[in-house]
Amino acid sequence: MSYRIAVDTGGTFTDVVVADEHGNLVVGKSLTTPNNVFSGMSSALDNAAANLGVEADSILKETGVLTYGTTRSTNAIITSSAAKTALLVTKGFPDTLTYRHGGKREPLNLKMEFPDPYIPRRLTEEIAERINSEGGVESPLDVELASEIIQSLEPKRIEAIAVSFLWSIMNPSHELQVGQLIEKFLPNVPYTLSHQLNPIIREFPRTSSTAIDASLKPLMQKHFIELESSLRTAGYEGEFLVSTSSGGIKHVTDVVEKPIFTVKSGPAMAPLAGIAYAEAENLGNDIIIVDTGGTTFDVSLIRSGEIKYTRDTWLNGEWIGHNLGLSSVDIRSVGAGGGSIAWIDSGGLLRVGPDSAGADPGPACYGTGGNKPTVTDAAVVMGYIDPNHFLGGRMSLDTNAAAKVVEEISDKLDMSTEETAAGILEIAGEQMIKAIQEITVQDGVNPAESILVAGGGAAGLNIIPIAKSLGCSQVLLPKTAGALSACGGHYSNIVSEHSASRYSSTEDFDFDGVSKIFSDINAKLDAEQKSLQSRGVNSFDREYFVEARYLNQQWEMEFKLPMQAIENPRDVELLTEEFHNVHFRRYAVKEEGGTIECINWKGRLIAEMDKPPHAHAELNTSSKFDADRTVSAYFSDKGQCQTPVYVGADLPEKSEIVGPAIIEEPTTTVVVYPDSIAQVTAGGHYLLTPK
Amino acid sequence: MLLTARSSVLGVARDFSVSIVTSEDEVLAAAEGFPIHVWGSNLQTACMRKNHPDFKEGDAYIHNDPYDGNSHAADHTLLVPVFFEGEHFFTTAVKAHQADTGNSLPTTYMAQAADVYQEGSLIFPAVKVQENYKDIDDIIRMCRRRIRVPDQWYGDFLAGIGAARIGERSLKKFVDKYGKDTVRSFVREWLDYSERRCIEAIKKLPKGKLEANQSHDPIEPWVPDGIPVNVKIDIDPDEAIVTVDLRDNIDCIDAGLNLTECTSTMAAAHGVLSCLGHDLPTNAGIMRRIKVLLRENCIVGIPKFPHSCSVATTNLTDIIVNVTQSSFAELEEGQGYAHSNYCNSAAAGVASGKDWRRGGEPYINQMFLMGGGGPASSETDGMHYLFVAVGAGLLYRDSIEIDEQRFPILVQKMQLMEDSTGHGRRRGGQGTEVVMGPRKDAIHILHVCNGLESAPIGVRGGTSSKLGENVRIDKDGKEHPSPAVMVCDLEQGELLRARDQGGGGYGPPVEREPERVLKDVENHIVSEEIARSVYGVAIAGSRKDDTLKIDFDATEELRTKMVT
Repeated sequence: MSYRIAVDTGGTFTDVVVADEHGNLVVGKSLTTPNNVFSGMSSALDNAAANLGVEADSILKETGVLTYGTTRSTNAIITSSAAKTALLVTKGFPDTLTYRHGGKREPLNLKMEFPDPYIPRRLTEEIAERINSEGGVESPLDVELASEIIQSLEPKRIEAIAVSFLWSIMNPSHELQVGQLIEKFLPNVPYTLSHQLNPIIREFPRTSSTAIDASLKPLMQKHFIELESSLRTAGYEGEFLVSTSSGGIKHVTDVVEKPIFTVKSGPAMAPLAGIAYAEAENLGNDIIIVDTGGTTFDVSLIRSGEIKYTRDTWLNGEWIGHNLGLSSVDIRSVGAGGGSIAWIDSGGLLRVGPDSAGADPGPACYGTGGNKPTVTDAAVVMGYIDPNHFLGGRMSLDTNAAAKVVEEISDKLDMSTEETAAGILEIAGEQMIKAIQEITVQDGVNPAESILVAGGGAAGLNIIPIAKSLGCSQVLLPKTAGALSACGGHYSNIVSEHSASRYSSTEDFDFDGVSKIFSDINAKLDAEQKSLQSRGVNSFDREYFVEARYLNQQWEMEFKLPMQAIENPRDVELLTEEFHNVHFRRYAVKEEGGTIECINWKGRLIAEMDKPPHAHAELNTSSKFDADRTVSAYFSDKGQCQTPVYVGADLPEKSEIVGPAIIEEPTTTVVVYPDSIAQVTAGGHYLLTPK
Repeated sequence: MLLTARSSVLGVARDFSVSIVTSEDEVLAAAEGFPIHVWGSNLQTACMRKNHPDFKEGDAYIHNDPYDGNSHAADHTLLVPVFFEGEHFFTTAVKAHQADTGNSLPTTYMAQAADVYQEGSLIFPAVKVQENYKDIDDIIRMCRRRIRVPDQWYGDFLAGIGAARIGERSLKKFVDKYGKDTVRSFVREWLDYSERRCIEAIKKLPKGKLEANQSHDPIEPWVPDGIPVNVKIDIDPDEAIVTVDLRDNIDCIDAGLNLTECTSTMAAAHGVLSCLGHDLPTNAGIMRRIKVLLRENCIVGIPKFPHSCSVATTNLTDIIVNVTQSSFAELEEGQGYAHSNYCNSAAAGVASGKDWRRGGEPYINQMFLMGGGGPASSETDGMHYLFVAVGAGLLYRDSIEIDEQRFPILVQKMQLMEDSTGHGRRRGGQGTEVVMGPRKDAIHILHVCNGLESAPIGVRGGTSSKLGENVRIDKDGKEHPSPAVMVCDLEQGELLRARDQGGGGYGPPVEREPERVLKDVENHIVSEEIARSVYGVAIAGSRKDDTLKIDFDATEELRTKMVT
């Protein structure tokens, strides 16, 4: 079989990226069809097939691997449309999902609306039982009462059940018993037990992930079964793999059991594309990946080839919304994109966002009812976006409308329309810079020592000044920038993680306890490895992580262990040394000789998948290339400049373009600022050097 | 700072703040933090410059002097002057509440301290603690000798210095990138711009002179009748100035509740600013438009040495914030807020003892197992876990599991209480009940609270909530209520039951949408009985099959009766 397909179903667009056997990637786009996902996927595939010059049917028949990323589970959480789920908790603690960790932003804002807890109090039931911090039973499970409560859920038409008891991570017997009772009394209702899904200390994140997982089971199981059936009917015979929030892929049968892993899985794929592209161009493995959409700007980070993860992923608002509770790819989003609205505050300061015109009504230049100046309008005013060539000419823009809304602001500022437009783009850029600094500086990474990989349709408008401000000497803007997440699907491995909680201090290390934890984790990884081997996967790797803290420190820090097991005092020394180093790098302090408390342990199985080779792009081989046309574009330090516009497909390898210039690709536009340089790489991507 | 902190007051309660102060001692920017905590660093940098006119690059100063700019002695502030090409541009200030500062009793909120000597904390009036980027070990050694759990203190000190030095590095880069002149003129412009924003916000308010008061619970034996707090507010939209006068209050008392210049000022400013909209920049520019009038030797003013200010950040400050905010509600519909929880219950007390699971190792730390209902506004119901007014909803709470791992305790209950809110068109947040006890050896809990004798009030027709309580339940099940200053030893088999308060309501309860009342009934926030008698909403259907609904006819009848 000669093709592989990666699909990313977003809220608005479905992206399909087809890779042929030479590693050439072709992008197809179509509107997402929420009621029948296959339909949108199929049109996007038609679109890609047309670009390749073959029939979509024959591509599907000749494809061995299809990876699928979806926002369906994310949307179900955000719109509260997952299953009607009951939550069973330890008696005395029915409000864990309301209290969350506590805390909020904006100390002076007392008019904030708080999202309801993920499962309302009315569907939360208290079960009489209690385990203590060492796993001892303080109160046995009241089986009779628990049975009554479970049976009482039936007339409430409960569709899924989440079970999360205190200290089930130390002694799961009560959760397991309740699981059996559910199977006995409500055999058709899917359920999730907290110690099985996410055995980490801290009841809030564990309960939150358990509730989310259970609530997604009916919906996502149905979704995957239907989609797989449509694919098979259409003649697809290859592997069906699904993207996960940990930046890997899993077989659909595994994801069906733990659908929470599909939440936020789309953006989690972008860093994989980033690392694949950067390595192919020999640009190192310290990478910052940015993805600019219409309303948000997402940043993720790769350091020494390792993706940065977090256990603090929130939906519907940081701290006040719903916590994913699982370790997932750290993606920082800010509300800055093409649709962000510019305005002037009561002190006379120009501001951009957080309000966005989105796709509806959209920027003023779309002519679809938008009447406020947006970042896209500013780019049109500055001549960066050609009204007749937007999205490869598929949509024409209204320059006058853009100029009119920007003028309304420039009049108040007593600045020219162009200066104001440049200001709008610069302020939007500052917000993006701040998001990048947050994720890098907080992790002790100097952005200047990293390569920036820029994706998203609007990335090329201001990535050069952003890179310059961060001190990044180079930016890689892939030809497929418009579909970075889907591209990531092509470069992903099957990743599986299992955690367990075991307290152990480096002062008096619990070798037996921790070694039991490692063997429990390994047993689970072994089982998965075996099952993957039976499907023909043969290359495996394992990594181990610990969440640890200095004695009495309040929050744990996760880091990768420099070993595969902890068996002797020397291993503990190595762990300690690594902790000090990582702590110093991230927080600029370390306590020499300080005792370290280890809390949660995690093992990761990585099953290497075959990946498309890095293509040598089929580029224009002639040594000559000409600008398609010349436009007038505005640059802050130069004013209006006669600026050549190039069509990406015309440019030969290694051609160098010195700004001011504009390069148009079907799904993105690259603005080369004065004196900055764009170079076409062997892969057909753009390597930008800010000046 | 949050992630590297050792003591729970830092890592959980976020009881720290960072700010940038200009070379002219003006707060230029403050990171998100308790308003009471954030500003005032300008007084401390002035103290640093006064006491050390020769301060230089590489220095760091420790300041916790309540008589010269600090909030209270338990907050250690680290000041790092930032130089560029030999010129002093800024000072970074990192203030963090310590788990212990060497008081005579194992608490950092010592209400019973007659004076600073009895309080016992080490006081640092801007003392040099680093030179040439290296610790001055004398100071570190002094602290390590006097502060309980010295490693915890030193860990927090390192976290604070780390944060201040990161700020220093970034600010140097900032000056380097934009140039010295641009930065100097930016500082002026930014403060002027901030002032303009504040002017515009004040101009939107109605003109008015307001006066209100509220009493703090009695503190035996010093103030057996409680502490009355009077707040006078003059809102002048024409001049765009809001003046808060705190001078008409009693003198400093011989107990630890006296406020400091920093906390008196900032409590009043906090109350005003929350009524001006939350989007204002936090700096000296906006403070030009908020005048706080203080008197020397006043309990809510400028403390007279050696009166103790151990509890200067909470308690009386909560009253000032609440009274100020609720006064604004008198101006017109839409303004101001009801009161929030006053009772920082004993579930947020300082626990100490020995842990038999770790070979009898001693522990001392503040627990944060609190809720505390927030105030209703004209538009929104109160937050369920605001804590208290000055907490501003920022505090994290402890995980039950982490606390049980850290302390040898068993928590039996932590939940929101039904019918604990003040009612109204918008209701307050709920109060929280916590029940806990030692698993084996005794634990010692020290605590000072308020709200045992006074409840948060509602505004514009909204109702008050209920009194808080801290009760020791002995082995026979007998209840022993504790006064505001609590010293409690719990033996095995004994329990502490701590209840804080819901927030007050805003507007008449009969105006609340029946759909909101139904949702409150479904979720055990309001009982069916209160829905009927207070909100005039009749509920039909059954919990058993999840079909509770509004009986619209009966509701209309009830409400008609209530209105007439």
